[in-house]
Amino acid sequence: MSSTDPQDPATPAPDPWRKPETGSTSGAAPAPVPDAVQPYASGPAYPSGEAYPSSPAYPSGAAYPPAPTYGAPVQHPVPGGYPPAQAYGYPAYGGYLPKNSYAVWSLVLGILGLVSCGFFTGIPAIVVGNNAKKAAANGEADNPGMATAGVVLGWIGTGWSGLVVVGYLVFVVVMLLTTASA
Amino acid sequence: MAASGLARTPLLVGAGTLLATVAVAVRDPHVAGSWGACPLHLLTGLWCPGCGGMRAVHDLTHGDLAGAWGMNPLLVVLLPLAVAGWAVWTWRAVHGRRTQAPRHPAWAWSFLAVIVSFAVLRNLPQLAPYLAP
Repeated sequence: MSSTDPQDPATPAPDPWRKPETGSTSGAAPAPVPDAVQPYASGPAYPSGEAYPSSPAYPSGAAYPPAPTYGAPVQHPVPGGYPPAQAYGYPAYGGYLPKNSYAVWSLVLGILGLVSCGFFTGIPAIVVGNNAKKAAANGEADNPGMATAGVVLGWIGTGWSGLVVVGYLVFVVVMLLTTASA
Repeated sequence: MAASGLARTPLLVGAGTLLATVAVAVRDPHVAGSWGACPLHLLTGLWCPGCGGMRAVHDLTHGDLAGAWGMNPLLVVLLPLAVAGWAVWTWRAVHGRRTQAPRHPAWAWSFLAVIVSFAVLRNLPQLAPYLAP
């Protein structure tokens, strides 16, 4: 076994990780564990809490509060490491679900497409509504029902106005064809 | 340019809109049937909120603000806002910042209320001379 003591290559140092032998020791504590392998010893090995820099040295909301580990009594308020709601880009409605607005816009565009604008807002309603459903599936929104409503209304609006446009074009073509021969 | 990918969408939208505007300026929508017909008007005879929009844009490209106002006042009011919004969108995209539609649902519902109330009001006989084409 190679020596674990770098200063004494001649004599092998006791392996601190070796299981202590029973009954063959001199009565002293078997396999004395040097302090070096107990870095979290409290008391004299480490200065007490007052010697540590107090709160101002740590940014508030630090994610890794070291205080309890080193036995220092200074307790920092630990809010879980996150600053309050501003981190999510307020507004308060749909606070940390920023993509809730997709479904609302999809529904608005779908309603407009249904009652007047047809495919002009119907197609954007379908596109935005599908994006809203994807966002809800990813957990970035909580209103997939509204998104589905927007998509459905978008399809209905696109449908009726598309039929009218196609019908109009067919009418024009038929007119052109039938009068051309006159 | 790192932000060129993000700027592609607003620039394409701008180019497409410019193309459509030039087309409307050249082919006069005042001539009946030059651009087809409004599906809602064909079906119901009602004025949809966009009716008169193409004629209004045509008048604006020829400098006729009063005529444009007579065709579709809502469009004349909303058009500068839309152009400004597009400019902000493009500027932000060129500088690498994403833009979202207004997030608070009050914006979306207000937009719907404005459009629907305009559609209702312009079909009332008393207001039709002012709001309808």
